[in-house]
Amino acid sequence: MQSLGFSFALIPVLRRLYPDREERSARMAEHMEYFNTQPYFASFVLGAAARREEDRATGRDPGADPAEVKKTLMAPLGALGDSFFWGAFKPLAGVVAVVALMAGAWWAPLLYLVLYNAVHIGLRATLVFAGYATGGDAVALMARYNFTRMARVCKALSLAIIGCMLGSVTAWDQGFMPFGPLPGILLGAAGLAAAMGMTVLLRAGASPVKLMLGLAALCLGLALGGII
Amino acid sequence: MPTFDLHTVQQVLAAACIGGLIGLDRTALGQFMISQPVVAGPLTGWLLGDLEAGLIIGGILELLWVMDLPIGTFVPADSTVTTVAATAIASIGGGGHAELAVVGLSLLMTVLMVPVTMFADHLMRQRNRQIPELALGKTGRPTERSVTVWHLAGLIAFFLKSFLLCLGIVPAGLVVLSWFPQAPESFHHAMILFVMLLPFLGAAAMVRRLSVSNRDRMLLIGFLIGVVCVQLLRLPVLAAVPFAAAGGWLGVRSRGA
Repeated sequence: MQSLGFSFALIPVLRRLYPDREERSARMAEHMEYFNTQPYFASFVLGAAARREEDRATGRDPGADPAEVKKTLMAPLGALGDSFFWGAFKPLAGVVAVVALMAGAWWAPLLYLVLYNAVHIGLRATLVFAGYATGGDAVALMARYNFTRMARVCKALSLAIIGCMLGSVTAWDQGFMPFGPLPGILLGAAGLAAAMGMTVLLRAGASPVKLMLGLAALCLGLALGGII
Repeated sequence: MPTFDLHTVQQVLAAACIGGLIGLDRTALGQFMISQPVVAGPLTGWLLGDLEAGLIIGGILELLWVMDLPIGTFVPADSTVTTVAATAIASIGGGGHAELAVVGLSLLMTVLMVPVTMFADHLMRQRNRQIPELALGKTGRPTERSVTVWHLAGLIAFFLKSFLLCLGIVPAGLVVLSWFPQAPESFHHAMILFVMLLPFLGAAAMVRRLSVSNRDRMLLIGFLIGVVCVQLLRLPVLAAVPFAAAGGWLGVRSRGA
């Protein structure tokens, strides 16, 4: 999975630590074993593996095993990273950008990139050094950043902003604004009810793609029936 | 059948290149989220001359697929190829000023292709599993060169996957779109309503994944703040967002998180 990329990223470190080509190749072969984690949190493992390689090569700790630290860290960091980045922070950045789009802001994609990458790149760079400094001490990482709490906050903010988006439906940009004879607050309430109804269908097992197709069929039916 | 003149062919090739390059950001290179629909749509639209279509398509697909997570062995829908292809079809087929009905049809056609993009992703991942063995070679000892070459070969494969998918989907979409003007008026109305309802489906898709409740308290707090700020106080939508975020924050604190 990510083993090749991991080895590729370690080449400069291995080149510096092991001038002998054969030894370097042997070390690289160790890093080709199965490795898969959240890609941003892989930076922490990378720093930790570099530290272990250094400890071993310099004789500081001849028994240091970089493969062990990789095996130990990949699953917990994968779970942590998936729940924070994919499950909480990315949706928050996305929903902020979409609300800006719906308000007619053409610069919403730039806002998204700045918002997301300020955290992503900052954390990615920090994690390499944290992994190196602690030698892969995940407990120290958790003590420094409470990712579980941050994820919970991000999810709550995302939900509140989605609610705000539904409540401000009458002020959406023309490209998105629904038409209809309903006054503003009723239109907002109808939008909220529609979203809640679709949430129930999604929970019942319908996929977004199937619901999209169903929605298209419904619209076509309404149009052919002369209702719209 | 539409006339695929030189200009159209150039635009289709440009769209495929855009898809290939942006697709690299999805998993293979960087993951700076340029591949997310909210960025990929407007970027494609701007490059192909219809920013408005890109903004609408990107916004809708972002809501729909932002919570489709690549966790474990699950392969989510390829939102990047779908976004780039839908935007390209709308931009090229709409002559740079795609109507909302054209945007709707473009979205519908590309969403129908989602299983194909998922299958391509699945094949790519299977092939990727073999790459480390290739880098190890017959000796079982990788060299700096073999690791670098196979690592970069992975990038080329990812580029080609998105490039070829766009190269197949966009012309097919343009063929269907060329028949759209002859479609009954009711079909146009249906596509406009379809686009207008999609943000609500997107909101539902997010709520489903972010909360275990259909009537989440944070969602309702945000809704009330939106109604009060925008519909009663006549504030701009963007001015209401910080209030909604503050409401969400206070809600978390009151829960003792």
